[in-house]
Amino acid sequence: MNNDIRKPKKYTFYLSITILLLSITTIMGVFAFTMYVERYTQKSDPNRYDKYYIMIAENSSASFWKSVYEGAYEEGIVQNSYVDLLNDTFGTDYSKEDMMRIAIASEVDGIIVAADESDEMTELINEAVSEEIPVVTLYGDNTQSNRCTFVGIGSYDLGREYGRQVLEIMRKKQLPRAQVQVTPLYDENGVRLMWTEEMIHYPVRVTVLLSTHTQDSGQNILCSGIQETIENEKQENVEIELSLVTIDDTNTFSVEESIRDIFMEKDIPDIIVCLNELNTTCVYQAVVDYNKVGQVNILGYYDSDTILKAIDRNVIYATAKIDAAQMGKYCVEALTEFHTFGNTSQYFIADIELINKDNIAEYLDGGAELE
Amino acid sequence: MNKRLKALSDMSLQGKISSIYIMTNLFVCLVNVLLILGINRMSGEMELVYRDNLNLNELTESLDAVQNSMTDYLNAKTSDSLEEYYRNSQDYMQLVENLDDEISGVSFDRMKRNIKHMSGQYLEIVDQTIDAKRGRNVEKYRARYESASQMYDYISTYIYSLNNQQFKNNSENYTELSQAFQLFETVGIAVIVAVIITNVCIITKLVGTIISPLKTLAKSADEVAKGNFEVEFLDVQTRDEIGVVGRAFNQMVISIREYIERIRHSMEVERVMKEKELLMEAHLKDAQLKYLQAQINPHFLFNTLNAGAQLAMLEGADRTYRYVQNMAEFFRYNVKKGEETVTVGEEIELVDNYIYILNVRFSGDIHYEKKIDKSLLQVEMPSMILQPVVENCVNHGIREMAGKGRIWLNVYGIDDTVCISVCDNGIGMGAEAIDKVLTGTYREEELAEGSNGIGMDNVIARLKLFTEYEDVMSIVSEGENQGTEVIIYLPMKEREEEDV
Repeated sequence: MNNDIRKPKKYTFYLSITILLLSITTIMGVFAFTMYVERYTQKSDPNRYDKYYIMIAENSSASFWKSVYEGAYEEGIVQNSYVDLLNDTFGTDYSKEDMMRIAIASEVDGIIVAADESDEMTELINEAVSEEIPVVTLYGDNTQSNRCTFVGIGSYDLGREYGRQVLEIMRKKQLPRAQVQVTPLYDENGVRLMWTEEMIHYPVRVTVLLSTHTQDSGQNILCSGIQETIENEKQENVEIELSLVTIDDTNTFSVEESIRDIFMEKDIPDIIVCLNELNTTCVYQAVVDYNKVGQVNILGYYDSDTILKAIDRNVIYATAKIDAAQMGKYCVEALTEFHTFGNTSQYFIADIELINKDNIAEYLDGGAELE
Repeated sequence: MNKRLKALSDMSLQGKISSIYIMTNLFVCLVNVLLILGINRMSGEMELVYRDNLNLNELTESLDAVQNSMTDYLNAKTSDSLEEYYRNSQDYMQLVENLDDEISGVSFDRMKRNIKHMSGQYLEIVDQTIDAKRGRNVEKYRARYESASQMYDYISTYIYSLNNQQFKNNSENYTELSQAFQLFETVGIAVIVAVIITNVCIITKLVGTIISPLKTLAKSADEVAKGNFEVEFLDVQTRDEIGVVGRAFNQMVISIREYIERIRHSMEVERVMKEKELLMEAHLKDAQLKYLQAQINPHFLFNTLNAGAQLAMLEGADRTYRYVQNMAEFFRYNVKKGEETVTVGEEIELVDNYIYILNVRFSGDIHYEKKIDKSLLQVEMPSMILQPVVENCVNHGIREMAGKGRIWLNVYGIDDTVCISVCDNGIGMGAEAIDKVLTGTYREEELAEGSNGIGMDNVIARLKLFTEYEDVMSIVSEGENQGTEVIIYLPMKEREEEDV
């Protein structure tokens, strides 16, 4: 009977606990759900930034330019500025000039543009500067304009490095190749007198792939760097034929076609020097397709995964690794400096490193990490 | 807590059950309301998803209108188209004003910002174009028209891209939201089911708790109905109807037990009484047996004596007549009153007769004095009590005193007790003898001469049975030759009238 006295209390206790738990569960559920919904309405970074910069890249899909943009973006966040890659914004493909106009009309706080030496670009840069928008040229310069800074690579140094690599390839692959040519010797009557044997030395053909804008100073400096190195350091009586081939990059798919043209010709170069990522990739693919592996040596540019793998497979001899993120970072630093002090350094040079079979292992790991 | 429990226990049954139902229903209701609120909120969100797209479409339309009206004006230069242009550009400006001008981490916001700035420039250029047209500056308005169109193209593309991206994003959001919605629905149904199950449990438990005293009551009532009155009392905590019934039941059980106890007691008393009666009868029978052993048939003796008395009267011998008459009375008493209770007066009369007979026999040896409270004469007592006591006094006290023996008979009342004292001035008794007499261990070896055969033990036993006292008699003797006083105690219970 005594239990009867306690039972109601016990029941009340359990009852209260159950009701409390259920209520809490319900309220928590509704709350969690509200938060869940809330997340959609405020999904992204709600921070506010002081400055707004626009970057116009050569080609937004190449990993080189992606790295550049990432470097710029991260530095921008540090400086409380936001950097947008305008190439990604539109569904349609606008030219760099169109994008320049859009950026100017958008009244941004700074433009980072992969410029060239064209007059239109000069004009647009000057227009932007007249609207008090500082312009940083990236990778490709426009020396005629009023741009505040150029961020790029040390073209002459890179050219010298390429020249040294060309000589190294010649040494390792025992170029130029010599061939014994046997020719019959005839008399007046057309009777063969004898066979003559002659050692013929073919010249080593080195081709440098250039972009369409021949007035690009960086490119020219680079070429002269290569030339000078080869001339100064090559062995006597070795003939090297250095040719500059302009790759048509004015149209969307023209690069690949132009490169294939090289391989269609009779004399395929022994060494091809590529000066951008796309060219490197295209040449690499062409060499594989035309079964010229080992015969054509490629000196590449940039360290995308494809290029690194190609080095690993001995298709590409070496590539120049440019610190793309550093370039992006320099751009934003220059703009910040300009806004703070009204002036900034005219040139920023990014670091270059050479990757070849000897040190590919560490980059392959690093490349995997990057992905 | 306790107060609340008490308040709960004080509620009526209806109140309790109703409050349980109301409480559980309220709980279900609350959960439902919460769920509905959540669902409402969700559907609101889902509607909002495409609001931005609608706004952007509006912006595009407005931009188109500006561009078209400008072109119209440039074409025909009508005042209507000019008016149209002003209205459209006003509308567009207002729409553009609503766009945010912040550089946020959200790409849509930044795109809106750019659209806003570009639109500002565009409107400026359009304005210049219109002005140039009005000023008929052909060169200028053509150039301006070109750049305005280009800008229009850029802005359209920009809005289109933004719209596209937003739509893509919103569609993703919408998919996620609808998935979440389904999840929410499932969870909601689960919660409601859980709540309903809990409620059913709660109601069952609580109603069980309320009903359980009733069950106990039913069980106890069943026990009582079967005749088991030794059921445990119900533990009544509540003040509701069940509590009232429970308390009444407890009270009923208590009353029944009391009645049973009372009946049992009276039966017990009756049994004792009957036993006593039987015992008394046995003693009387014993006395009568002794008497009959000692006497010849009293009826015969009585008749004989009566005949003698009449004979004496005829012959004129008065003293003889009186003597014989006394004798006859004495024996008649024995015959008549042997088995009844008598009054004190009748006993005293018998003593008188006995003394008279003895005095005639022993020629007036015994001096007999009475001091009697007349009001006590009707008090009841058993028969054949005083005579044996007086006989003892005569036989053991004063027989040898030859004419000096005295007997005093006193009857007096103390409170509710009637005392009958028989006192003599004879040889007295030792304390040991007194003790023996009172405890009934003293028995005479043989009946003394002239005794009617009834011993003191018989007298005491009958007195005890009649009075229900322990002390019915006390014997006082101051020592040898100091005399003896025997006192009998009786309850003051008068004979009822009808017995007379």
